[in-house]
Amino acid sequence: MLQRAFFVVVLMVALGSQALAKEIVFAVDATYPPMEMLDANKQIVGFGPDIVRAIGKAAGFTPVLKNTAWDGIFAGLAAGKYDAVASSVSITEERKQTMDFSEPYFEVQQGVVTAKEAKITSVKDLAGKTIASQMGTTGYFVAKKIEGVKAKSYDEIGLAMEDLYNGRLDAVIADSPVASDYALQHPQYSKKLKLAFTIASDTPEYLGIAVNKGNAEVLKLINEGLKKIKANGEYDAIYAKWFQKK
Amino acid sequence: MSPQRQSPTVKIDIGDGAAIPSKKDRGLFTAWWVAFVGAIVILGSLCLSYPDPYWRILAFLPDGIVVTFQVTLLSILLSLALGLVTGLGRLSQNRVWNLLASTYVEVIRGVPLLVQLFYIYYALGRIEAFSNLPPLAAAVLAMGICYGAYMGEVFRAGIDSIDKGQAEAARSLGFNRRQTMALVILPQAWRTILPPVGNEFIALLKDSSLVSILAVSDLLRRGREFASESFLYFETYTVVALVYLLITLVLSKAVSHMESKLNYYDRS
Amino acid sequence: MTAVDPIIQIHNVFKYFGTLQALSNVCLDVHAGEKVVIIGPSGSGKSTLLRAINRLETIDSGRIIVDGKDVHSGEHDINRIRQELGMVFQNFNLFPHKTVLGNITMAPITLKKMPELEAKNLAMSLLEKVGIRDKADVYPAMLSGGQKQRVAIARALAMQPKIMLFDEPTSALDPEMIGEVLDVMTQLAREGMTMVVVTHEMGFAREVADRIVFMDQGQIMEIAPPNELFANPKHPRTQKFLSQIL
Repeated sequence: MLQRAFFVVVLMVALGSQALAKEIVFAVDATYPPMEMLDANKQIVGFGPDIVRAIGKAAGFTPVLKNTAWDGIFAGLAAGKYDAVASSVSITEERKQTMDFSEPYFEVQQGVVTAKEAKITSVKDLAGKTIASQMGTTGYFVAKKIEGVKAKSYDEIGLAMEDLYNGRLDAVIADSPVASDYALQHPQYSKKLKLAFTIASDTPEYLGIAVNKGNAEVLKLINEGLKKIKANGEYDAIYAKWFQKK
Repeated sequence: MSPQRQSPTVKIDIGDGAAIPSKKDRGLFTAWWVAFVGAIVILGSLCLSYPDPYWRILAFLPDGIVVTFQVTLLSILLSLALGLVTGLGRLSQNRVWNLLASTYVEVIRGVPLLVQLFYIYYALGRIEAFSNLPPLAAAVLAMGICYGAYMGEVFRAGIDSIDKGQAEAARSLGFNRRQTMALVILPQAWRTILPPVGNEFIALLKDSSLVSILAVSDLLRRGREFASESFLYFETYTVVALVYLLITLVLSKAVSHMESKLNYYDRS
Repeated sequence: MTAVDPIIQIHNVFKYFGTLQALSNVCLDVHAGEKVVIIGPSGSGKSTLLRAINRLETIDSGRIIVDGKDVHSGEHDINRIRQELGMVFQNFNLFPHKTVLGNITMAPITLKKMPELEAKNLAMSLLEKVGIRDKADVYPAMLSGGQKQRVAIARALAMQPKIMLFDEPTSALDPEMIGEVLDVMTQLAREGMTMVVVTHEMGFAREVADRIVFMDQGQIMEIAPPNELFANPKHPRTQKFLSQIL
């Protein structure tokens, strides 16, 4: 016991003041570009991780990102394997029964992707155009509701993007993170496609960071940090980094 | 030196379409009626007893049925033309034509239709010249090319089934090769060819459901769209299956009718 | 070509089926108006020779000249030459999808551009000649063998050929029908048609032939007028053949 305490003291001294900051472990399923993904060096990057790191800096804690499979990610939280889940979790009534959520850090909208040269900047411009989305997704429901368009459904969003890329479609509607990934991040598609604009859905969908019910301490830190970065412009910088044309 | 030439009644059996009802086959004939009446009764009573969702589903499908027929008809026309050229090529003494036809058949038969559809639409779509190919045209092209290979074999077998004496008689009168083929061989081969062609037609109609992968709004895709929104998978696919069944049953009846009409010169 | 040239000249014709010698140095002249009957055991090459005259069989060497035109040289349109050479087959080879009338009028209408009415009148007169005028509108399937062969003769005559080739015209017939076909052929012979007939009907050969050709093993063994050949065959093989069939 004594040995251990000594060891901890030595370690704290060695690491300096940095180590004094509280560590908070976030589970991330890094398979959802550009929200959360692995870069070429297997480091967790993306909009979400950037936000978490900025929150940590602003609120004075050390965020540790732990790559975790989506399947079982909430069970791990309940079991105490990590403190929070920051992995594009939609805030739903059902989830609120078992977990507490931070303030929303992202509103999922429908991103409209078009060819770079297309002159489509609003829903009105879509009239008379052929637009597509993935079958059974919010994007397709939105597409079908737009008046005067020919809405097509695809089995995969990738096939729709491919047809857009080949000039067979005028626009593709997808969840904005997905849309911006194709239009902004993808090495090939981003050369010809752009994220023209976004459409807010009728039932807004927000992403939040989940913690165990009653974990007010961690939740408070996260909300504090989030509030700060939204206020000081850091949030906007990160948003621009991932969702706007470079 | 006169080899005995007989004209055997060749029956080409490529059974991937539907069973064509014939009065000779009582079992199948009855089965046709059982299936047809059964499908109508089930579909009708579902729509009447539970208009929501069954009637709603059925009402969602008609434009998909139209697209399914469009794809099928255009594809069959293309496949007939390709099949004729291929079948003649396979029997031709012209080595280049023969090799081209045989290679086409080998290649196409070795690649799944679904892969061909993807290939023509998405893979070739990357090539400038094909990138503007509308989905319907790509679907027809892929289905036509695929079935053309099978149709080629049907034509070859049909032409092959005609007694060589027929060609000799025509040639001895002074008809050239083309006239012989057009006036003597094909009109007779058509009768042997029709049942398998009808079969291929029905098979093609069913396979046309694959074109939904190209985002062509055919019958199946309409059904899938409905199901993906309503989550009424059981109800939707029940209706879709019944509609397909009714269409193929009507078509197989039509083929058998045409077949009996073509038998006119055998009645003695 | 002068008037005295034979209408068919067969010079030193050889043909092989693999290693089998089907025709071996065959030479034969047929004059206009002449009736030549070819007899011989089966496999002797008589049908092959007949079929070589209108190039239904190719030859390996030698020349066959019909009406001044070399049949196998490729210098002349074979389809034109064949129009001068009517042919009747053992198995009739009527076109089953055409009526009797259609069978007869098809070639003159298509190849000679004969007006339909004229072709029909010609066909009716030919049917009159072969004695089955009443069958004009039926399909071949409804005819007896003898009737079919008479239609086949009428069909060949409709092209108004200079020469008629008969390849065992009665071999596929029931015995009671042989007579009606031979009667038509005899009548045709009397009208002065040039005829080359391969047959086993010795009675017909004796009555109609100007000369009889005896073939065996691809060779012509003996050519003689019927009286001479039947009464006094010179070649031992002819003697043996005749002794077997008479």
